[in-house]
Amino acid sequence: MSFLLPKLTSKKEVDQAIKSTAEKVLVLRFGRDEDPVCLQLDDILSKTSSDLSKMAAIYLVDVDQTPVYTHYFDISYIPSTVFFFNGQHMKVDYGSPDHTKFVGSFKTKQDFIDLVEVIYRGAMRGKLIVQSPIDPQNIPKYDLLYQDI
Amino acid sequence: MAPAQRCPLCRQTFFCGRGHVYSRKHQRQLKEALERLLPQVEAARKAIRAAQVERYVPEHERCCWCLCCGREVRKHLSHGNLTVLHGGLLEHLASPEHKKATNRFWWENKAEFQMKEKFLISSQDYARFKKSMVKGLDSYEEKEDEVVKEMAAQIREVEHSRRELVRSVLEPQAVPDPEEGSSALGSWKGTNSQVASASQQPSYLDLPPAPELDWMETGQPLTFIGHQDTPGIGNIHSGATPPWMVQDEEYSSGNQQIGPSYEEFLKEKEKQKLKKLPPDRVGANFDHNTSTSVGWLPSFGRVWNNGRRWQSRHQFKTEAAARSKQSHKEKKPNVS
Repeated sequence: MSFLLPKLTSKKEVDQAIKSTAEKVLVLRFGRDEDPVCLQLDDILSKTSSDLSKMAAIYLVDVDQTPVYTHYFDISYIPSTVFFFNGQHMKVDYGSPDHTKFVGSFKTKQDFIDLVEVIYRGAMRGKLIVQSPIDPQNIPKYDLLYQDI
Repeated sequence: MAPAQRCPLCRQTFFCGRGHVYSRKHQRQLKEALERLLPQVEAARKAIRAAQVERYVPEHERCCWCLCCGREVRKHLSHGNLTVLHGGLLEHLASPEHKKATNRFWWENKAEFQMKEKFLISSQDYARFKKSMVKGLDSYEEKEDEVVKEMAAQIREVEHSRRELVRSVLEPQAVPDPEEGSSALGSWKGTNSQVASASQQPSYLDLPPAPELDWMETGQPLTFIGHQDTPGIGNIHSGATPPWMVQDEEYSSGNQQIGPSYEEFLKEKEKQKLKKLPPDRVGANFDHNTSTSVGWLPSFGRVWNNGRRWQSRHQFKTEAAARSKQSHKEKKPNVS
């Protein structure tokens, strides 16, 4: 299923994706294609991509090939999904320790669709951080480790 | 307590019975009312001696309120085109019912006795007034006749002066145009002198053509720029192609479409859509088209950041430098 979504393999390509997406939410999935949770997430992403085509552009990024961004975005768990709008990073409060990205997979397609819509509406109103509409029980739990520990 | 009674002068209801009339307020009201009426009566009295007759004007329809009778009375007498000033009021004041009403008024309101005489006009006075009225009418007629005569004289004078002017203008004009059908002019003039008083129109017709020709000849001469007939190129009369239809050499190759191309049109459509989006959305002023350097990083508020979002990039770069230094240090002992 991950072959239906466009893939980005270098920093330059990611840069270009960020710069070129205009007036749409940019969804970047950081992970590895073989990872099982990644596969789940990719499945949801690909199935919803056509419905969300007017609101969002979805790309898959391999963490091993873009170490700069892996460090810049502090990606320690995969899959991690980062949201951008017009080159600006959008933060979402999921009820989890990290607001800058969504860690793990979504439980249902509807969760993802709702989240993208909330981000889009917030961005249109000029908000850089929005509240996630997903039920906190459906959000995967993880421990946030400080990098130097 | 006496029954309720209304005093028309004070315009109030009072319960004092007969006592109200002697009260200060009532007397004051009475005085003011009489003071208002007095000037009118005085003006009418003056008119007894010298009655004035004037031409009728709608203002002469005015009425005066007679306090004693409690009704409105026509001030001036008007008949047809003429009016006698204060005639109506005088008539009323001389009438017997007014006398009765005045007596009653004085008794009821307990006004001063001496004042009463001023508001009455005897019948002798009225007879005197009638006589003076007749005199006034006669003098008015005489005046009118005089005015009419004066106006007639004025009109005659104006006409005479106009005729003189016309004759004086016509004579010098006939001399400097001998070519212009002098015989016709001569014949016109002849008829004119015969029919001097009756027809003034022919002389008026002669005036316009003579001055026109004069102006056309004595104006500034126009600049001559040469004959415009080259044998090779045609012109408008021969039916050649106009200069703006001739194909330029630049346009001979390539498509000659005017206006924007299709891509430009699509871009314009996109721009229109953009205008409709809210202006305060995130990244509204983000420049999508400029090229980015290799080291460009997007605006990302990092997780373990020690400052604001825009400082996160700087912090990342310093951390990256520190990390690379560390890895260098680690690598070196391995190599060696």
